Order: sequence, then structure tokens, then C-alpha cells
Amino acid sequence: MRLFLQYASSGVATGCTFALVATGFVTIYRVTRVVNFAQGAFAVIGGMTAFTLLGHGLPHFVAEALAVITAGLVGLLVGAVAIGKRGTPPLASLIITLGIGIGAYAALILVFGDQPVSFEGLRGAATIGGVTMPFQFLLVVVVTAATFAALTVFFNRTYMGKALTACSSNPHAARLVGIGITRMGLVSFALGGALGGLAGVLLTPLQPVSFDSDVGLAINGFAAAVFGGILRPATALVGALVLGVAEALVAGYWRASFQSGVALVIMLALMVWQASRRQLLEEGPA
Amino acid sequence: MSWLRDRSAGFWVTVGAGLATLLLPIALNDEQLTVFIFIGLATVVVAGLSLLMGFAGQISLGQGAFYAIGAYTAALLAKDAGLPPLLAMAVATAATAGVAVVVGLPLFRLRGHYLAFATLAFQLIVVSVVGEVRSLTGGDTGLTAIPSLSVGPLAVEGQYRAFVFAYIAWVLAVAVLLLNRNLVRSRPGRALRALATSEAGALAAGVDVGRFKLQVFALSAAYAGLAGGVYAFFVGYIAPGSFPILLSIQFLIMATVGGLGSVSGSVVGAAMVYLLIQVLTRLGTLPGMPLHAPAVFSYAVYGLVLVLILLLLPQGLIPAVQARLGAARAVSAVEASAAEAA
Repeated sequence: MRLFLQYASSGVATGCTFALVATGFVTIYRVTRVVNFAQGAFAVIGGMTAFTLLGHGLPHFVAEALAVITAGLVGLLVGAVAIGKRGTPPLASLIITLGIGIGAYAALILVFGDQPVSFEGLRGAATIGGVTMPFQFLLVVVVTAATFAALTVFFNRTYMGKALTACSSNPHAARLVGIGITRMGLVSFALGGALGGLAGVLLTPLQPVSFDSDVGLAINGFAAAVFGGILRPATALVGALVLGVAEALVAGYWRASFQSGVALVIMLALMVWQASRRQLLEEGPA
Repeated sequence: MSWLRDRSAGFWVTVGAGLATLLLPIALNDEQLTVFIFIGLATVVVAGLSLLMGFAGQISLGQGAFYAIGAYTAALLAKDAGLPPLLAMAVATAATAGVAVVVGLPLFRLRGHYLAFATLAFQLIVVSVVGEVRSLTGGDTGLTAIPSLSVGPLAVEGQYRAFVFAYIAWVLAVAVLLLNRNLVRSRPGRALRALATSEAGALAAGVDVGRFKLQVFALSAAYAGLAGGVYAFFVGYIAPGSFPILLSIQFLIMATVGGLGSVSGSVVGAAMVYLLIQVLTRLGTLPGMPLHAPAVFSYAVYGLVLVLILLLLPQGLIPAVQARLGAARAVSAVEASAAEAA
């Protein structure tokens, strides 16, 4: 039982980082209908920027905050390329973001080198009922919870949040009431970038990040986002926690090399199941 | 010989390019032949992907998985089961198509970006399974000493090995391109083109959309499996690392550059992207370059090419050129008739 709780708690922590990547997907998809393949790269950029800034002697928190802002700015740039040209269909935007994701490898190797990096997060651990909980795990959970609360308030209570939601539910009506669709799309890309950066900053102390870690992160984040049809952050959070715990249990009890395979199979099964439920309702180009 | 006179200029360009391609190996050394072979194999894969993306409107980021399945099946059948290599290759091609049908049945309920992610996931699963089944595939160390192609006692070995493989690869490439061309013009091809324009419209016209998509998927997988088989016999060594996600993305870039659904675009896209990468690798390995230069160059170029093509020439290179030429021809025809009238 204690072993189970140990695995589960580490699963919750990694699940939270998946959740942050997933909300990045959700935020961008809600507004632009683009699935951003470069989402994993934002996390890598966040983690590596924080590592470099800490190496230059910046204090914790400042370095992490700057890293998140950097990732947000990169997100804005990606958005400008992917949706800046009017009339780019979402599937073309998808391939564009894929291209940016590959191109980002080149930039990441040039700027940060091709070795995996990691930095020390919170030190120490609490022992609760025989289960060791590193403080970094707790930090990840708390930050994720706070981020989700803030996002919920943002989307439901603020003007900007409502404008973003309006773009996704009815672009034409949104334009009629004077909302700039492209500008809102760029805002969503910046927000998605920052969320990805936050995931990277929190994840890097838990597991080393290298320039090509983005595929794994993006796959897990997308899998989590799929739980809610890439539209609902709260369902994505549930999905991410399920994935994180399932992977930790597979790695703990069975074999570490199977964990990503299990996540992928879960994602495929879920997508197919959801598609078969929705097919009758949603005809036309997806 | 009247049928010869009725042919369009495009026909003669195609015939000329085909002859030049088939004569080219005579002038190439072994190293250049290897590049030539890989371009031929990539053409085979890209021809399938282009058909799938251009006509069935589906993105596959998992063609590398089918390449891997073809390579491993052919290699294992020839090496461990002792099948004649040609038979092993044929079985591998059929088996890859079979896998595509089995995988495609559930996956093709998905569309667009879901399918893109699903095919990506499929490749990750295939590669990790191949790495895990050590007793059969040699795990991460891979399969070595795969026999070369042979017909009866005649094995493709020795001085002319690469030369013969070049012809095998390109005969297959030409065959696949001809098959594509005829397919697009046939009755199922018309259904496919209807499908590409409007799925709902095709459905209303009585096209079994689901079945057609699955068949195109299986065909594209068969092409990839076939190319994978030749790859295994030519290189003689395969490992999970030979089939990274980047390989699938490379095929996607080639198909996009050449123009989705364009038959000649498959070969042009494959050749241009492959040669570009070769040139950059040369540059990157020049003395004085940092160790990671080749990787940086190729990543940057993959990214740039993909983004620029999609933003500037979304329909791809060959269709864009054809449209330009077509427009010029239409204009000159109009001018000619106007001059006649005056």
C-alpha cells in the first residue's frame, strides 16, 4: 500500500505538468481550432531558459518567472507565423506548427546545447503516513491548482477571457461585435506558450529535459487534452492526473520502458471511443 | 504512329526525365548511387503519402512505422525463416498493408489533427515494441547480417551491388508512380477526387467514403512497406533507431514540397528535400564546423521548408508550376484566337 501511494504521488506530480501542457493545447485550440504541435517545445524552452538563468546566478522565482515569460513570447511568435496569414486552414497551421517544432530543435541546440539539463527545485521532503513526498512534488501540485483556478476565473469572469471564448464558439458573431479574431488567436498562443513554459519550469527539477523532450511532453499533454475534446481545461486536468498515475504505476510495478506505450494506447482508445460517439453529430471537416 | 503526335508536351517531359533517370546510375559512383537509391525509396513512400494526403485528405505522421514494419518483416523472413528475399519482400509488402487495415479500421474514425496525433502515436508504439521484443528483433541493437537480394543462386553482391540496387529502387519508384497516375484516372480515382473535394458530396454521390479512405491508407502503407523491404536488403542492418519520428516528418515534408496528390510531385519533392539535406550535411561536416552543425542545419531546414511552403505555396511546388504554365498556355491560346479573328 505504501509503495502504491509512493508511485501514485509521483504520478500526480508528473500528471500536473502534463495538465499544464494540456491546458496550453486547450487554450490555443479553443480560440483558433489549431492543434499546436510546437506545444512541447514551449515546455522545453521554459525548462532550459530557467536552467540557464539560474546558472547565471539569478535567484529562484525570478529565473522561473523570466523563463515563463520567454516561453510566452515564443508562443506569440509561433502564433504569428501559424495563424498570422489570413485564410490559413487549421490543418495547414498544424503542419506549420510541426515545422516550427522541428525548427525549434535547431535553435535549442544552438542556444542551449544538445545535452539534457536539470536544476534543483525545492529541497527536502515531507513524510506523510510513511510516504515520502518531496517538496517539489507539492509545489508542482499547488502551482497547477492555482493556475487552473486562475484560468477558470480568467475565462469566465474577465472581458478578455470571454472574448477568447467568443472567438471559438462563433467566430463570425465575435467579429461582428468587434473582437479581433487574429489578435485573440495571438493572445491564446502567448498564453499557451506561457502555460507550456510553466510546465517545463516545474518539470525540469523532476526529470532532465533535452531539446527533443518535446515529443513525449506534447504526446502526453495532447492525450490529456483529448479527455475533454481539447476544449475543457477541467477535464484535461482529470485526464492528465489519470495518465500521470497510470504511467507511474506501470513504471513502478511493471517496466519503465512500457510507461509511454501505455499512455499512447490509452490516448488512442479514448480518441477512437470519443470519435465513435461524436461522429453522428459532427459531420464536415474537423 | 499517330498516337505519338497526339501526346502533350508534358508527356515528352515525363518520358525524357524517366529515361535520364534510368541512364543516370551509369555515371554515378558508389556513394552517389547510395543517395540515388535512397531518393528512389523515398519516392515510393512519398507517392503513397501524397495520395493519402492529397486525395483522402488525411495526414499520416506514421509512414515511418510502415517503413519499419516492411523492413523488419522482410529482413526476418529472409534471415530467420529462410524465405527467398524477393518472396520475403512481397510478403512484407502485403503484411504492411494488412497491418494498415487492422490499425486503420479504428483510427480512421478520427479526422484531421486527431488522426495526425494517432499515427504519430502508432509509430512511437511500433518502434518501442520492436525495441522490446528482443528475442525476435534483436532489441535496440537491431538486426545485423541481413542477406542481400537474390534470385535463385544469383545474389546482388560485389562490385555492382549498388548499381543493381539503384535500378531495383527506381524501377519500383517508376512502377509506383505509373500505378498512381492510372489510379487517379480510373473509376476509383474519380471517386477519390470527389472525396478530396467534398467528403459529404462524395458520400451523397454513392462513394463508400470510409472504405476508400481505408484502401488508400493500406496502399500508402504497402508502398512504405515495399520501400522498407528494399532498404533492409540494401543496408543490411536495421534497428529501432533507423526509424525515428523525424523520418515520418521527412516524408511529410517531401510530399508537401512536391504537392499533395501530384504524381510527379512525389519524385521532385523526394529528390529536392533529400539532396538539400545531403548538401547541408556536407556543409555541416566541413572542417571547423561544430560537432552538432549537421543536426542543426537539417532541423532548421526541415522547419523552414515546411513553414515556407505552407505559407507561400500551400498547394506545393509542382502544382504551382503547372498552374503557372497552364495559365500562360491559356493566355497564348486566347491571344492566338484573337489574332485569328482580327
